[in-house]
Parts: sequence; structure tokens; C-alpha cells
Amino acid sequence: MKLRLNKTVAAVASSALLLMVVPAVGIASTSGAASKPTYTIGYEGPLSGGNQQLGLNMVFAVQLAINQANASGKLPFKLTLRTYDDQGDPTISPTQAQAAVANKKLVAIVGPAFSGATAAAEPFYSAAHVATVSPSATRVSLATGGWHNFFRVVADDGVQGPADADYLVKKLKLNSVYVVDDGTSYGAGLAGAVAAQAKSDGATVSTATVPGTSQCQNGTASATEYSAAATQAVASGAKALFYGGYYCDLGLFLGALSSAGYTGTVMSGDGSLSPALIQGTTPASAANGTLLTCACATSTNKKFNSAYQALAHFSAANATYAPESYDAANAIINAMKHLKKVTRAGIVAELHKLAYKGMTKLVKFQSDGNIAGSAIFVNKVENGKIVQLGLE
Amino acid sequence: MGAFGHYLSGHFATFRLEFWSLFVGGVANGFLYGMIAVGYTLVYGVLRLINFAHSEIFMSGGFAGYFVMKALIGNSVPSGAATIFLIVLGIVVGGTAGALVATLLERVAYRPLRRRNAPKLAYLISAIGASYFLFNLAGKEFGRYSISMPQPYINHPVFHVFGAGVQLYYVVIFVAGVVMLFALDRVVATTKLGRSIRAVAQDAETASLMGVNIDRTIALTFIVGGALGGAAGFLFGLGTGVVYTMGFVPALKAFTAAVLGGIGNLRGAMIGGLLLGVVESLSVVFVQAAYIDVVAFGILVAVLLFRPTGILGERLGRAA
Repeated sequence: MKLRLNKTVAAVASSALLLMVVPAVGIASTSGAASKPTYTIGYEGPLSGGNQQLGLNMVFAVQLAINQANASGKLPFKLTLRTYDDQGDPTISPTQAQAAVANKKLVAIVGPAFSGATAAAEPFYSAAHVATVSPSATRVSLATGGWHNFFRVVADDGVQGPADADYLVKKLKLNSVYVVDDGTSYGAGLAGAVAAQAKSDGATVSTATVPGTSQCQNGTASATEYSAAATQAVASGAKALFYGGYYCDLGLFLGALSSAGYTGTVMSGDGSLSPALIQGTTPASAANGTLLTCACATSTNKKFNSAYQALAHFSAANATYAPESYDAANAIINAMKHLKKVTRAGIVAELHKLAYKGMTKLVKFQSDGNIAGSAIFVNKVENGKIVQLGLE
Repeated sequence: MGAFGHYLSGHFATFRLEFWSLFVGGVANGFLYGMIAVGYTLVYGVLRLINFAHSEIFMSGGFAGYFVMKALIGNSVPSGAATIFLIVLGIVVGGTAGALVATLLERVAYRPLRRRNAPKLAYLISAIGASYFLFNLAGKEFGRYSISMPQPYINHPVFHVFGAGVQLYYVVIFVAGVVMLFALDRVVATTKLGRSIRAVAQDAETASLMGVNIDRTIALTFIVGGALGGAAGFLFGLGTGVVYTMGFVPALKAFTAAVLGGIGNLRGAMIGGLLLGVVESLSVVFVQAAYIDVVAFGILVAVLLFRPTGILGERLGRAA
């Protein structure tokens, strides 16, 4: 960390510290000795372009956390939010990161939102010791980039598959799993991870690829393939079926499974977590009982939801990654509270030690910046509605 | 030996059940393919043209049926006479929508070209253009996501074939398919309209000299083919829901079936459809579901290598 203090400011600051017992100010200089220092928490993510909504979901949650912290009256400092719009684009992200680093009041970042943008921005944040707490960047390699300032409150892409397999085999005690994928890199990757873990958990595993259909704009196959695929799934006698793919094709498959008389458990990942799954399943009741897992949480906290609605003017219920952003911002604020002297490097060090009970999960980081403990949420379709059951 | 024999017989029982389940599903798909395929074959007969917008006739039947089911069923669960009424109504509405769209296509996309003696390539482009226009319009109007159709019944196995349950949905397709395809066969073979269709197919110029109204015959051919395609769209949507792109692959398969059976040949289209449906479904016994299309089109190529005019051969203009 580089402190650019001139002697006068240093003298004022140190005398203030001695006389007024005001926390020392490393980066920002304060004007009046009695007033609280002001620090800025940055947000980097897409605030324009095609992924704007995702960025808005997040930025309102960060703003809410900051407003609540300021209103609590317990902070020895005042917080402001400054946004850096990277459009989710790895080529824009470095410019925004450099702008954020140059802002002397800025002490930490919520974000960046996207994995590619994060990878491009981290060299700059890392060199300036600016802690980045991402609510949504899930690329596995981000944690192994050697960036001591990198944190994320969301499970990475490598966690979901094994966690799903463990849930089926160990928790639900289903010892035979039929694993289907839709042939996409996402679906096949997730299904492959589930199959491998289920096998090592001791379950009997059979696999099948049922390619995505043109009906779902996810391939060129015909929707009629699902009756055959469902017949095979039933014939396998498996007690659980995992589907790696997206909601539209899963909806077609669920209809066929119900027709074919399949009575086992069906589970799928975040690609299927959408109310459109129920809308697209014929009959809609065939979707009931389906388990849908995601590293993302749905907010069930009424206080948060109503405060979020008042601020954002849209519902938190469908605001993906809003709860994670709220936790990320609060993690930073809590780390700051523990510091006698708020510095960028101090926040990084404090985040490594933090154990903060967030809204979605316990925010405690591993040494590589990944979230510790189980961080995959399981949801279930009940009576045509998706209900969050909790962490796996 | 005893244990092994037991294992074998157990394995065989599973295999037999799977085989018959796949067979039943395949026949149901085959009837749907057949109902679409006759639309291609009829139009090809009178115009020597593949109506590539037939997929959108199928899609419009699906949506029309969906809107009627949504309006009449809502959240209720019909049974008994109400079920039969709703299914028949769905087929009629789907068929009517299909016939309307087919008529519109003929008027807007084909007749003006016919008047100007346009080359065959112009028809092809006109057909593809009409197809893109229609399905994108549907996507814009009805949303670009799959919508499940309210069910006029609770789907359940009605009876068993060698242990494999035959669901009510499949029974509906079998009955509707048999009735409609048989009726079509008789209409073309015995009625005055059928005679005109056959006459135009054989030699349009001579037919017109003999007093056959060609425009009217072509229009009616589109209506008949469109009605079956639209009805098939409703039956398909009943099982898998409706979406603006729903017509694309089933129609391509049905076109394949029509060529497989012998394009222009009514019974050929029906047999081609059934054969394609059953073979692609049963292929799952030997290879994965991912290979269904590989098998289906592999068979098409193989059959055409040995019988370039399809299984029953092109039989334009004859009582099928």
C-alpha cells in the first residue's frame, strides 16, 4: 500500500488521533476534525449494455447495505458508493479498475460481477491492495490467480456438481443415479461432475446424452426424443435422475418422464432454476418435486425484500445475486469496523480473518478467497412454485 | 447356472418391457409424422413443390389448440365426455387453423408465382420466406418460450402391451391418426375432389381441358393437407407444449418420411411416417438417444440408395 501523505496532513491526522480519538485516516483526508471520515466502497459490474439488469440487481443491494450501515449510527466513519461500469466486458474492465484504484477515498470493491472482467481487473486491484469481494464471479481459476485481495461470497463452478451428487447419494440416500446431459458444455460439464462424485460416493451411475431440441432453441434434436429417453431412464431402475442442462428441455423431459411412469427424484442445476420450467412442463404438475440447485440464493428475508423493493422499485425475489451483493458489501463493512485504522491493505487482511453471519450464508473465506463451507442452495418445485429449501 | 439363468431372464424381461415401451412411443410419433407427411405429399402431387412452410401450418394448429384448451380448461381437470369433447374440439380447431394458414400461404406465397409461371426456385424461396415470416411473427406475438398446454385429461396408462403401458395420450394419437388418415385415403380414392386431385397430379393441363378447375383443386389440396398438419400440431402440443419453433424438426422428419415412403404417394407418406417413428424410437435400445437423428437420417440415405423413389415409389396421380 502506498500512502501519499504530506507532512501537514500527517501532522493534523496524528494530532487529531491523539486529541480527539478519531480513527486515523490513511487515505482520505478529513476537513473538520470532529466530522467522521468518509470512505468509498466501489462496485464494478455491468451497468449498461445487455447485462445491465444483473448489475442493477447488485448495485441496489450494495447501496442498501451502505445506507443501512450509515443509518445505524454506529460507524466511526461515513460510507459512500461509487460505481464503475465495466459492461461485464473484460476489455473495459481494466480501465474501470484503474479508475477505481486512482480514487483515493475508495477502500474496497464489491465485484467485479463477471469472471472474465474479474480476471482482467485483478492485476490492478491486487497491485493496489484493494479488496474485491465478488457476489457472482464463479470461474474456478480466479481463486488460483495468486491475487491475495480476491474474495467471493458465491461457490465456484467446480463446487456445484459434487455438492449435488453428495446431496442425492449421501443426504437423500439414493444409491442409483441416472445422469443425463443436454450435450452443451455447461450441461455436460455439470453432469460429468455429478456422475464422477456419485460414483465415488458409492452409487450405481449410468449416463446418457439427450441433446437439446430445436423446440427450446438449444440444439437441433426433436422433442419426440424425450419419450424414448424417459423410457430408458425408467428401465434403468435408478432412484434418482440428474439433468445437466437448461429449463426448457428439462420441462419437455419431465413431461415425458411422468408419462413413462418415472417415480424417482429428479434434480437439476442452476440452468434449470427458472419459473419458466413450470410454465414449459406438460402437464405442469410433472414439475412438482423437482430439485433445483444453485450457488445463488433467493432472498426469503422479508425485511431485506421490502427495503430492497423501496430502494430499487423492483422485487428482490427475481433479483439474481442481490442477496450475495448485500452480503459482500456487509462483509467489507464488517471488516472495516474491526479496523482501528481503515486502510486498503487492512481490509484485505481483515477479510481473510472474517467470520460474518450473512443473509445467505456464513461469510468466511478460505485462504484462496473462496467461500468456506457449503454454499450451494437447493430449491424444490412445490405445487407449481419454486421454494428454497436451504443450503445443501 | 440357476442364478445366471435367473439374471438372464430378469434382464430379458427388462429388455422386453423397454422394447415395447419404445415401440408404443414410436408408433405414436409415427402417426404424427404421417399426418404431417401427407400434407407434403399432397401438395407435391399437385404442384411438384415442397411446401417448406408446412412446419408453420403445424405450429399454427398447435397454438390454436392451445388457446382453446386454455380458455376452456383453465385449472379444472376434465374427465369423461368433457375430455372427448375437448380433444375433438382441439383437433377441429387445430385443423381449421392449419387449413386457414395453408389457404393463406397458397394465395399469398404460391398462386401469384403460378400466375407468372415463376421458376421452381422462386417457389422454394417464397416458401422459406413465408416460413420465417410466420414463425417469427408467432414468436413475437406469443413469446419465445415453451408453453405447456392445459391437459383435457389426466394422462395414465389405459392398457398394456406385453407389460408396456399405453398412455391415454398415445391412445388419442392412435385413434385420431387412424381415423384421419383412413378418411383422407378414402377421400382421395373415391370422391370427386379426390379424382380432381389425382387428375391434376397426373397432368394439370389435360385435367383443365377435361373441365377440372385447377385453382380450386390446388386450393382444396392445401386445405386438406393443412387441416391434417394443424390437427397434428394440436396433438403434438398436447404432449410437449407449444412454442414458435415447434414445427421445425417434426416437419423436417415428416418431409423425410414422405420421401422415405415415396413423395407424392399418400400411403407411402403414412408408412414412411410410422416406420421413421418406430425405427428412431427403437434405435435407443441399441444406441443412445443422442443418436436418434443419426439413425433416422442414416436409414433415409440407405433406403434412397437402393430405392431412389422411396419404399412404395412415386405414384403421382393414382389412387394411392
